[in-house]
Amino acid sequence: MKQGVLMRFLNETGDITRFAGRFFKEAFKPRYEIGEFLRQCFFIGYKSLPLVAITAFIMGLVITIQSRPTLVEFGAEAWLPKMVSVSLVREIAPVITALICAGKIGSGIGAELGSMKVTEQIDAMEVSGTNPFKYLVATRIMTATLTIPILVVLADAVSLYGGYLGANIRGVVSWDLYWNQVFDTLAFSDVIPSILKTFFFGFAIGTIGCYKGYNSNKGTEGVGRSANSAVVISSLLVFILDLLAVQIIDLLNLT
Amino acid sequence: MITQPEINRPIGQEHDVPVMQLRNVSKSFGTNDVLRDFSFDLNKGENVVVLGKSGSGKSVLIKCIIGLIKPDSGSINVLGKNIPELNNHELDKIRAKVGFLFQSNALYDSMTVRENLEFPLRRHKAKMTKTQIDELVVEALTNVGLAHTIDMRTSELSGGMKKRVALARTLILKPEIILYDEPTTGLDPITGKEISELMRELAKKYNTSAIIISHDLNCVRIVADSIVMLIDGKCYAQGKYEELQTSNDKKIQEFFI
Repeated sequence: MKQGVLMRFLNETGDITRFAGRFFKEAFKPRYEIGEFLRQCFFIGYKSLPLVAITAFIMGLVITIQSRPTLVEFGAEAWLPKMVSVSLVREIAPVITALICAGKIGSGIGAELGSMKVTEQIDAMEVSGTNPFKYLVATRIMTATLTIPILVVLADAVSLYGGYLGANIRGVVSWDLYWNQVFDTLAFSDVIPSILKTFFFGFAIGTIGCYKGYNSNKGTEGVGRSANSAVVISSLLVFILDLLAVQIIDLLNLT
Repeated sequence: MITQPEINRPIGQEHDVPVMQLRNVSKSFGTNDVLRDFSFDLNKGENVVVLGKSGSGKSVLIKCIIGLIKPDSGSINVLGKNIPELNNHELDKIRAKVGFLFQSNALYDSMTVRENLEFPLRRHKAKMTKTQIDELVVEALTNVGLAHTIDMRTSELSGGMKKRVALARTLILKPEIILYDEPTTGLDPITGKEISELMRELAKKYNTSAIIISHDLNCVRIVADSIVMLIDGKCYAQGKYEELQTSNDKKIQEFFI
């Protein structure tokens, strides 16, 4: 019997939740796959550095250039570093980094695990006495959860540097003045919640990528579909989680 | 002698020791009954080929034996343990004694040949030293004539080489039973014959028992001690190659035309 759209959505949501639950059940029990975890840190974290850094730099630069005319109109040009730093650190750097990672890491994990599934490599792993969920899934979710916040901190720094250059294209702001204004403006209540939410972004990206890849079927066509839906769903989840995070931060009066 | 399914086959001769006994194994996917009360025995040192049409449930059968698929009913006794009743830990122990050669080879793309062969050892032979592991890897690759590929990536290997490396990986734990899922599919006849002869040679060398899923008659002729015909989800007949080839049963004849 063909399922309706709502039913399929609910089934899929249930399956993803169970999959995430299995991660918590299996990831913290020995035997720990430290070698594979470190290998994934290299591929997921280190290999994403250049892309994240370039994007963050451009975002910082562009946001500063775009914001300047409006502030000049109100005679508030001196507030440029303050305004830019808050928007970059609280929202733009975390969300843009998470979206970049959803594209790069989510599709990578989805396609890798998907092709392993259809070529029976996951079965081979199970037959050779290695728990494939622990070895492939737990390590990747853990890596995504832990490395994306680090990438966001880097993106914060690089985007603020981009902002400094942007502020100096038309105006003149000294290095010391710029950073003094940035750090005067930013409080822990800006930085900590924005980093905390990126752990959830990372977890969502890793979980969706692994879920889609691990449950891939229908041959090579299925692999492409897994990679594609991993990106679409994890990107959407980043926005949903961001929306929730903003509401919670607002409720806790951290704005 | 050809044995029909209705007749209970005696468990080998007096000197035969069964290493695997399947009794009334059934498995269905939705309304599709793939296996229906499938029963047979595998004796020590015996190579049994399971012959059947594509989609007749041959791969499902060996995946049930290794515990990748759970049968709906029936018992699968492997080396004294009933597979469907085992937990993951017990299954891992049994899997160290049962090798599985996948139809698609299932070599790990992201690893070299050496890493592929070391992978099963990391769990089952965790206490081995690096030198011992290296020796085992070289020995397994030498057995299949591919010692020179040790540091190559699997993507650099030809189809026949991949099959040999997969066979080396299967044999590295020195299993007592090997399950082959269509070992010669996708290979040219010459390479297929080489692989079949290699399987025979290694079975003799390590005194292994094997279940071979195949519909390649050249491979069947070389490796089979006896053949089980899987038709309509049942063990339709069992016998030697020559016996089945000369059978008057139409369903059996179709395979040997």
